[in-house]
Amino acid sequence: MSQKTFAVAVAPLLFLLLLLPSVGLSQESETCLSCHGVMKGSLKTQRGTMVDLNVDTEKFNASVHATLPCTECHMRFSAGSHAASGSAVPSDILSLSSKIAAKFKNDPVAGAACAKCHAEVYQKVLSGVHGKNITEKKQVDGAFCLDCHGSPHYITRVKDGKSPMSRKYQVETCGKCHGSQAIIEKYKLEENVMDSFRESFHGRKLHLGHTRAPVCTSCHNAHDIRTKSDPESPVFGKNKLETCGKCHRGANEKFVPAITHKRPGPIPHYGEKLLILLTMGTFAFIISHVLLEAFADIRDAVFRKKEGK
Amino acid sequence: MSETNTETTGIPKEIERFNVIFRIQHVLMFTTFLILSFTGWGLKYAHDPEGLSSVWIRVWGGPDTAGLIHRIAGITMLLDFVWHVIYLIYLFATKQMTINTKTTVIPLPKDVFDVIKNFMYFFGLSKEKAKFGKYSYAQKFDYWAVFWGMFIIGSSGYALAFPMQVSYIIPSFTSGWIWELLGLMHSDEALLAIVFILFWHFYNEHLKPEVFPMSWIWITGKISTDKLKHHHPLEYELLFPEEAKKEKKG
Repeated sequence: MSQKTFAVAVAPLLFLLLLLPSVGLSQESETCLSCHGVMKGSLKTQRGTMVDLNVDTEKFNASVHATLPCTECHMRFSAGSHAASGSAVPSDILSLSSKIAAKFKNDPVAGAACAKCHAEVYQKVLSGVHGKNITEKKQVDGAFCLDCHGSPHYITRVKDGKSPMSRKYQVETCGKCHGSQAIIEKYKLEENVMDSFRESFHGRKLHLGHTRAPVCTSCHNAHDIRTKSDPESPVFGKNKLETCGKCHRGANEKFVPAITHKRPGPIPHYGEKLLILLTMGTFAFIISHVLLEAFADIRDAVFRKKEGK
Repeated sequence: MSETNTETTGIPKEIERFNVIFRIQHVLMFTTFLILSFTGWGLKYAHDPEGLSSVWIRVWGGPDTAGLIHRIAGITMLLDFVWHVIYLIYLFATKQMTINTKTTVIPLPKDVFDVIKNFMYFFGLSKEKAKFGKYSYAQKFDYWAVFWGMFIIGSSGYALAFPMQVSYIIPSFTSGWIWELLGLMHSDEALLAIVFILFWHFYNEHLKPEVFPMSWIWITGKISTDKLKHHHPLEYELLFPEEAKKEKKG
């Protein structure tokens, strides 16, 4: 069936979906939320970590995960009391949870549970620089699912304008780490990333709401993010030709250096200084000339009335 | 220098200063200049003041449309400039225009002395203002500023509007810094051009008491002989030597 026939034959049927009763919370979530929906504040666990007790029912209901029962991710818990042990955790999730335990101190199984549905994306993150930072270097401040997408309880689609990964907020979200001096120094990251993007044509256009201006993930990939020294990175050496070429058809080796995160080199730097000097010199001349001429005109009109005028 | 004087003598009441082609070129130049300034301003100050540029750019149809308008206006301005240069070459080739120190727009040492003389006049150190030929130094400055703008802003603008095409012709060793430089050139010199027009051109051709609200030459192309004598005495002497001599004696 061609796409067109499909569109004509099947698409109208999709409207029938509107007739279905709206999807609500699962029975189990309601049980959990009857307490966690009203609890406030956080609690110190036996392992010494803090856990936030509150789940905002309304926001959870609006999230894409609203239909999932709590134990879908919090597998160690049961639908009933906390004392009862939860369902058996699949072995792959269990081994994954031990790998990312450094990041998820409270419930690593829940952190690994994302992979139940998002397996492919999860693997990409693990093989990328952010994942390796957690699994290999055992660092805790490296970005992982929730650092970018926000709380799983309130997660919305990237295309939804409110998502921290939406076009509107993505740069800001990445900037939480890539604009933080402490993190930049700790991991020896490229230091001028946020400012250079902000000042670039891409950044300016994005800020103004240009519909095709790129965000971070446009060039650096969404989940499979790698350092620029990794040959598989989309911004490694010649890979840039293809990456820039996604929007700039025919991008060549002399074109791709147009956008970097580096600070301007000496030529643009001193070139601009020269232009500023020239501009200031011109301003000084024209402004003083205009003002002095105006004063002289006033002086002549008031004090030196000429004959015949 | 009264009205009756000119009427009794055989000289015309007004002469053509700019023909219709120059006037059209000027209209094209300033309309595209205004459009470019308005649309470019939003991008130059995209971030500050917070939120205002987004609103301003929406006035121009949003960033996509504003970019398109900016490009179309830029190309029109460049074509206008090319037309002007070709027309000048034609005028020289057919001897309709020749270089004379009293009518040329080319800067001469006299212009420097004129500036000094006028500044002395402003400070009350000289009793007389400088006397000009067809173009005062202010007008020459105005004219050549456009050439500078075309050279710096026009060329960089072209490169930024068509980076792919331009990337093929730039030498390899420049690719590391030229794009950054082009962006800075375009944006910095555009600001210079805007401030220049706002102060220099607007004061000299609009706000000055003797021309307010504007010099109408841009529409009529004509200047009255009286005004010519007053503002461009050297050109007047060149065009009407006998009248000028008589008046000096009288």
